[in-house]
Amino acid sequence: MAIVTAQKTPDRQPPLSETSIIGWMQKNLFSSITNTILTVITLYIVYLTVKGIYIWGFADATFVAENRRECYNNSLTGACWAGVIDWMDNIMYGRYPRDELWRINAGGILVVLWMAPLWMSKVKGKIFIGISVVMLYPFLAGYLFSGGSKGLFMQVMVSGAIVAFIANMLNMIIGLTKNQSLVQFLLRIFNQNNASDKTQRNVILGIMIISFLAIFLWQISFNLEKVGWTQWGGLFLTLVIAGVGIAASMPLGVILALGRRSRLPVVRVLSTSFIEIFRSVPLITVLFMATTMFPLFMPDGFVLNKLVQVIIAVILFNACYMAENVRAGLQAIPKGQFEGAHTIGLGYWGTMGLIVMPQALKHMIPNIVGNFIGLLKNSTLVSIIGLFDILLMLRSISRDVPWLGLHREPLIFGAVLFFILCFSMSKYSRHLEKKLSTDNKS
Amino acid sequence: MTTKTQKSQLSSAASNEVIIEISKMNKWYGDFHVLKDINLNVHQGERIVVCGPSGSGKSTLIRCINALEEHQEGEIIVDGILLGKNLKNLSHIRTEVGMVFQNFNLFPHLTILENLTLGPIWVRKMGKAEAKETAMKYLERVKIPEQADKYPGQISGGQQQRVAIARSLCMNPKIMLFDEPTSALDPEMIKEVLDVMVDLAETGMTMIVVTHEMGFAKTIADEVIFMDEGDIVERNNPHDFFGKPEHERTKQFLSQIL
Ligand SMILES: Nc1ncnc2c1ncn2[C@@H]1O[C@H](COP(=O)(O)OP(=O)(O)O)[C@@H](O)[C@H]1O
Ligand SMILES: [Mg+2]
Repeated sequence: MAIVTAQKTPDRQPPLSETSIIGWMQKNLFSSITNTILTVITLYIVYLTVKGIYIWGFADATFVAENRRECYNNSLTGACWAGVIDWMDNIMYGRYPRDELWRINAGGILVVLWMAPLWMSKVKGKIFIGISVVMLYPFLAGYLFSGGSKGLFMQVMVSGAIVAFIANMLNMIIGLTKNQSLVQFLLRIFNQNNASDKTQRNVILGIMIISFLAIFLWQISFNLEKVGWTQWGGLFLTLVIAGVGIAASMPLGVILALGRRSRLPVVRVLSTSFIEIFRSVPLITVLFMATTMFPLFMPDGFVLNKLVQVIIAVILFNACYMAENVRAGLQAIPKGQFEGAHTIGLGYWGTMGLIVMPQALKHMIPNIVGNFIGLLKNSTLVSIIGLFDILLMLRSISRDVPWLGLHREPLIFGAVLFFILCFSMSKYSRHLEKKLSTDNKS
Repeated sequence: MTTKTQKSQLSSAASNEVIIEISKMNKWYGDFHVLKDINLNVHQGERIVVCGPSGSGKSTLIRCINALEEHQEGEIIVDGILLGKNLKNLSHIRTEVGMVFQNFNLFPHLTILENLTLGPIWVRKMGKAEAKETAMKYLERVKIPEQADKYPGQISGGQQQRVAIARSLCMNPKIMLFDEPTSALDPEMIKEVLDVMVDLAETGMTMIVVTHEMGFAKTIADEVIFMDEGDIVERNNPHDFFGKPEHERTKQFLSQIL
């Protein structure tokens, strides 16, 4: 006998236990007697902890004081944040001249503005933005931070960076308002949007050269005051080390990863050994090696400053982890993509640069963020070899006469700061991962 | 209603000129002998359908023809060029021989138009405007010009496969290879892809098609090849191949799929 449903069954709401908070609590927190007891005990412990932290950190804490004695006079049971607040500039910027702090802030704002378009779906030319921020921004920032008179190379790079930054900002504005790229916009202004490729290229090239020359002539006229690297410190120094470490280790990591997959045995063995050796020693060893061994390899009279040594060590160390990220990213690309590229005649570099890397990079972003978090935390190790990074700054507070012996508050402040930085990045990378896996199109 | 795939046999476009010449070709994967003493000549404009059970070496055969796989013994001469380790020849072959895969292998991070213009611009060094014009021409030929700005993930499987065909055609190849182009498609999309392939056959393109669409084979094939366990077991014109297959294995295979 045939079974026929006369009507379409209407959709119904799911049972309350699936959707309401009370339903959820019943199912997960109070499902049995043991579970209920555990829940109550846990809640009580959480309550005690939060209350303790609140009383010590806020209710009884001292925020304004001249020295540690005043803190104690105010309250014996609360934290003495006044010391941390008093040292805030040192914690953030180290001993950087106080009149020049705007340069560091400007450097920070520049990089945020520079990268912002990467998150705007309407803005075109993301690849150029990404490349320019890695290749040019470091020179601009480097000059902003250290100042002094510029050599010709530095002048060229700084001018290039400024041109790229301005172009990037214009591109962002035009992208947001007119949904076009800067190139399309310029071509339209000059009435060349129907001209041949060659004319178009020449027009764009011309505009680029002219703006470059203008900026170049302009920047000759001024120099920033020189600030030696020994005056760098605090969170600023930590971010510089981690930032340069990440940016420079990316291209190096790509090269190492490709080397590891190379068909040439020599290249493959070299890359693999390099990666494995650096991955199997702790960063602190690499740092000590760098500061004690580099000078031995350098020609006589050539002294690298300690900061550069440290940064090179961090780059080499991190490049190996980056190489493994890249390798994982490459492995996520299906074989069919290589074959598709093959059938339209692309060679090795064309396939890698146009087809494989752009896709692999997407898979790699969450890992790169994770890597950056690790590096940020790891880079506090440089305090051991005497760079005044944020950790050393925090620990110096207890040796400052007015705040003698103030250990706890600075370190807790540092921990909270690191937690906020790292946790938000980690959350973001989790979010990215989810987003990438849902709009994975192939 | 008559559709193209049900139309009677197309007239042959085969000329006398041999464009693919395979002689005594052998291939192994490790110690597994995939292709055994293959001999096959294909003339310019000839349309060949290859069929056979799964694992019989059909894909491997056509992948050898465009140098996606290396063979170990014997000769393959494509368009007058002897395939071997010479890299320069390889890149030439890749551009002369187009290939369409079961899984399309479109580039998911590029729009349809960019998928099509990539080869002409970067390999053929064509200008952007010209490449775009060519791409639009072929998109019209596969009947989806309106999808040009979408991404592969946003269109149906049948449309993706037609884009893949257009992508190959943009390189202006002399030979087109198809490896089970409709096997990954939902049934209602198979016809739109086969129609495009019939159109292509009508232009006189040299085609080697691995497929089990026997109606399609009857319509366009000059020759049908049956492969089994690395051998070319039988080769005949479609009329006789389907009408009076000679070899026992062919008969068995045909009885299974028809
Ligand atoms: N890369 C490879 N390595 C090892 N064996 C392979 C590889 N590719 C295919 N084979 C084997 O070769 C045989 C022929 O494969 P294939 O040409 O894909 O067959 P068909 O396309 O006729 O189904 C199969 O048994 C398959 O398992
Ligand atoms: Mg196959």
